[in-house]
Amino acid sequence: MKKRLFIASVAGALLLTFGMAGSASASGETLEGCLLEDLIEKLEERGHLDGGHSGLDDEELLKEIKKKCIEAPSPILPEVNEIIWGGGAFLVLLALMLWKGFPAVKKIMDERSEKIASDLDQADQAKVDARAVKTQYEAELADAKSEASRIIEEARQQAESLRADLQVRAETDIAEMRTQASVDLEAARERAMGDLQAEVADIVVGAAERVVEANLDAEAQTRLIENYINQIGSE
Amino acid sequence: MSEERIIKYAEAVLAVASAENDGTEVEDELFRFARAVEGSDDLRLTLSDAKIPAARRQQIVEDLIGDQATSTTTALISMLVAAGRGGDIQRIADQVVELGAASRAKAVAEVYSVIELTDDQQIRLASSLKSATGKDVEIKVIIDETVMGGLLVQIEDEVIDGTVRTRLKQLREAF
Repeated sequence: MKKRLFIASVAGALLLTFGMAGSASASGETLEGCLLEDLIEKLEERGHLDGGHSGLDDEELLKEIKKKCIEAPSPILPEVNEIIWGGGAFLVLLALMLWKGFPAVKKIMDERSEKIASDLDQADQAKVDARAVKTQYEAELADAKSEASRIIEEARQQAESLRADLQVRAETDIAEMRTQASVDLEAARERAMGDLQAEVADIVVGAAERVVEANLDAEAQTRLIENYINQIGSE
Repeated sequence: MSEERIIKYAEAVLAVASAENDGTEVEDELFRFARAVEGSDDLRLTLSDAKIPAARRQQIVEDLIGDQATSTTTALISMLVAAGRGGDIQRIADQVVELGAASRAKAVAEVYSVIELTDDQQIRLASSLKSATGKDVEIKVIIDETVMGGLLVQIEDEVIDGTVRTRLKQLREAF
């Protein structure tokens, strides 16, 4: 992790250095400006301006000016001053990065890592909780199913018991009704027979009474009295 | 009236009857008069009505008995009616008969019959009842046409029923 962070920091510093150097050369100097400025500088160095000498016959001077303003710079090696400025800037930036950037980035990364780890832990915990809840739900569902089955079975047993009770009660009621009907029928029959016997008795006894009354004259009365006296005496 | 007072009246009647003549005859006449009162609600109410003057009630008694009873019996009944005991004559007469029979060591046999019994029949009936119950009895005949025929004898709490009415009743119950 640290190695990756260091490589990224160095690459950023180099790009910033050479980019800044390249952009300064390209933006500040045209070909004419370069030729004029460099020519004046070389002529002053060699004293041609003071002596009225143009210096255009100085081949070495022309080569230097040509080399500097016309010939393209090396695509690989920058100018020394650019290396110096670039290196300084690189070192300044590197120091700033080491002083402020890296700790900040490291702090951010650590916080991010901790947050991710915390999120992962929370996710794991949530997963565990979810599993626990799921297990609990499954257990409750199983309990609910079991309770439902128990209730259904209990209701079925109660219904069966109620049906059996009702059947027994109905059979008992029917038996009692039959018995009562038989008793009522027998009582009605006995009443009818009693009434009939009473009527027959009234008729027969009434007829007997009329016959007896018609035949109970004084002689018959005397005979009955004598029979009574003799019967009592013989007992 | 209380039983004790009934007994005292009966004892008084018996004492008077014994003093005057044969107590048995008075007992018998008093018993018959009581049965006659028993068979007539109007007579019973009249003799026990306190609103009717005692003299009037006594006159009714004398007119009713006439010469069918001894003067002693008439006087005793008249005395009971005048004393306001006309409604208790039946109980007093029954008590007189019982006390009289008891004084002669006998029991009273109330005989219910449609017709009167002759003296011979009463003697033979008393003999038969003695052999059946072991008691000497005095026959008191009560004319009751509801028995239809035959006799019903009651000696104290014992009843010997030989009436046509009971035979017909048994016949009815036999159905």
